Amino acid sequence: MTDGYSGNSAGANAGAGNGMQSGGQNGAQSARKFIREPAKRVFAAELRETRLQFKDGNDEKSPVYVILPTGERCNRIFFCGQMTQKEKKGDDTPFYTARVTDPTGIFFINAGSYQQEAMAKISKIEQGMYVSVIGKPVVRTTPDGSVFVSVRVENISVTDIDTAKIWIDDAAKATLDRIAVFGKTDDSIKAEEFYNTNLDVYKQAAYNALIKTEM
Amino acid sequence: MELDPQMIERISRKVIEMGGVAEEAKIRSKLNLLINDLGINEVEAERMVIEKYSSDLAANKPSGNQNAELGKISDANPGDWVNIVGKVVSLSAPVSPAMSQTGIIADDSGAIRFVVWAKANAPTLELGSWYRLESATVDEYRGSPSMKIHSGTKIREVDEVCTLIPQPVPIAEIKPGIATVRVKVVQNWEPRHERMMQTGMVGDETGTVKFVTWKDESNTAVEEGKIYTVYYAGVDEYQGRLSLNFTGATILEDEGADLDVADGSTTVFGAFLNMGPGSGVIKRCPVEGCTRVLNRQNYCPDHEVQTDFRYDLRVTGVLDDGVCARNILMQREVVEAVTGITLEKAVEMVQSPLGLDDVVDKLKEVMMGRYFRCRGSNLDGTILVSSCEFVDYDSANHAALINRASESVEVLQSGAQGGND
Repeated sequence: MTDGYSGNSAGANAGAGNGMQSGGQNGAQSARKFIREPAKRVFAAELRETRLQFKDGNDEKSPVYVILPTGERCNRIFFCGQMTQKEKKGDDTPFYTARVTDPTGIFFINAGSYQQEAMAKISKIEQGMYVSVIGKPVVRTTPDGSVFVSVRVENISVTDIDTAKIWIDDAAKATLDRIAVFGKTDDSIKAEEFYNTNLDVYKQAAYNALIKTEM
Repeated sequence: MELDPQMIERISRKVIEMGGVAEEAKIRSKLNLLINDLGINEVEAERMVIEKYSSDLAANKPSGNQNAELGKISDANPGDWVNIVGKVVSLSAPVSPAMSQTGIIADDSGAIRFVVWAKANAPTLELGSWYRLESATVDEYRGSPSMKIHSGTKIREVDEVCTLIPQPVPIAEIKPGIATVRVKVVQNWEPRHERMMQTGMVGDETGTVKFVTWKDESNTAVEEGKIYTVYYAGVDEYQGRLSLNFTGATILEDEGADLDVADGSTTVFGAFLNMGPGSGVIKRCPVEGCTRVLNRQNYCPDHEVQTDFRYDLRVTGVLDDGVCARNILMQREVVEAVTGITLEKAVEMVQSPLGLDDVVDKLKEVMMGRYFRCRGSNLDGTILVSSCEFVDYDSANHAALINRASESVEVLQSGAQGGND
């Protein structure tokens, strides 16, 4: 469980309205009180474009964040979709990879020996089923130089289409909310510099996802 | 040897810059002593005289100056040297022989705890009297500002300055230090310490907070359901939680009044994204009044091994709306209602070797990654859920989002169909 906790110093919205907060500086507080990082809602189309990854702090256990093109940091994401192309890999130390599709694209998920519970669950889930996934986004550069964004699974559960539809609305809202404050938060200014984000692309993706679930 | 007039001039200037009074004769006699009697060289002597003035000024800032600037108690911050005029509104028994008196002093801006050190040789301060305190220091004790009266502090009793009518502060806005509050006693709890006279919970329209009254000669007990104005209560902070200390405070009942105490009940929406340890079937200590959870060896931290335990069912976890991850705690009734897994069924499962884990797996299967709306009260950052329901797909919300998304981009409609697949 400790793995799931990170300091409060991060995140434009971290701790907003959280009753646990007391006075004091962020730095002093993160040492004393650990506040769980919320899981951000992001569409596959946006996660696929994510490149900016950094460590918040110099400690070995400092959390690793990515900054989304729409300008919010996250070290945990939540999404729903249909699972496809499940594969068991590795001989001595087996791990699973799979794809989860949402209306905008594909999430690449994996679970290895450090995610025993998630691995066991993936092994049992049949392809084509709707799943909900909680996991950590990881940006990697492959040996041939291409960049690959995957999600290390913390938890995966079979879910239903209704939950997947609620998630699409949830993710669309989160995307539009991020776009609404783009350029006004520190992280979104960083994102603007790094990605030179064309916000219309992500508005379009959100809109398309919403329209698709109409059918 | 004749003293250099320029040197005296330089020293005078420095002293005046530091806010002191430069008397030429005094400076001259000091220099004379150092240079002519003790044979110290001029440069060194000049430095020593300036240093002497500077340290005198720092230790006794307004020395010889009756018009020293007065401060307000509310402006006193840890690290400050202060001069104030205030009324002793409360005295308490000192907790250490190094202190001769402890209490609270107030002016029209606020109130602060004070300590008179035994070594200060200060006159005894009387409850209800006004004093002018010069060169007291302020530091911080357990997160609250505290004023220290030491041997360098000048104390003079003065006539009453004004009638103090402290204004009550809403519970939601109290800060460590001293506060006057108008509250209703929500609950009286059993004191858990022999030095404790009373403890419980009080609240107003803005929130609730724990209170404690330690045993002391001068204390007033409060009754459940009644409303009181508590003048100069201590506000303590422990591990980020605030509590009120009524010891020595002036407590007046507000007879016949009523107050709607905020019940702290909130509704939160989000996805259930983490099931914490301590979820599932647990065993509780059977000892009367103890509800602690036994460990796998049936050991209660208070009552040792208990084999006659009773089973209970609960879920701890995180409800996450993407902006905030809130800890929630569901007791048996709520868990049963939401998941359909009853305590009876769960206890049946527990009888098999991996039963405990099986129950947790079942609960996870039903709850993980699903959206819930929970109602409950917030206790130190954990929401004690009193009712909880699965969230249904909301087509009105969906339509509103489509509108919102299409407003932002004009060209969308045409692009929407062709743009995908």
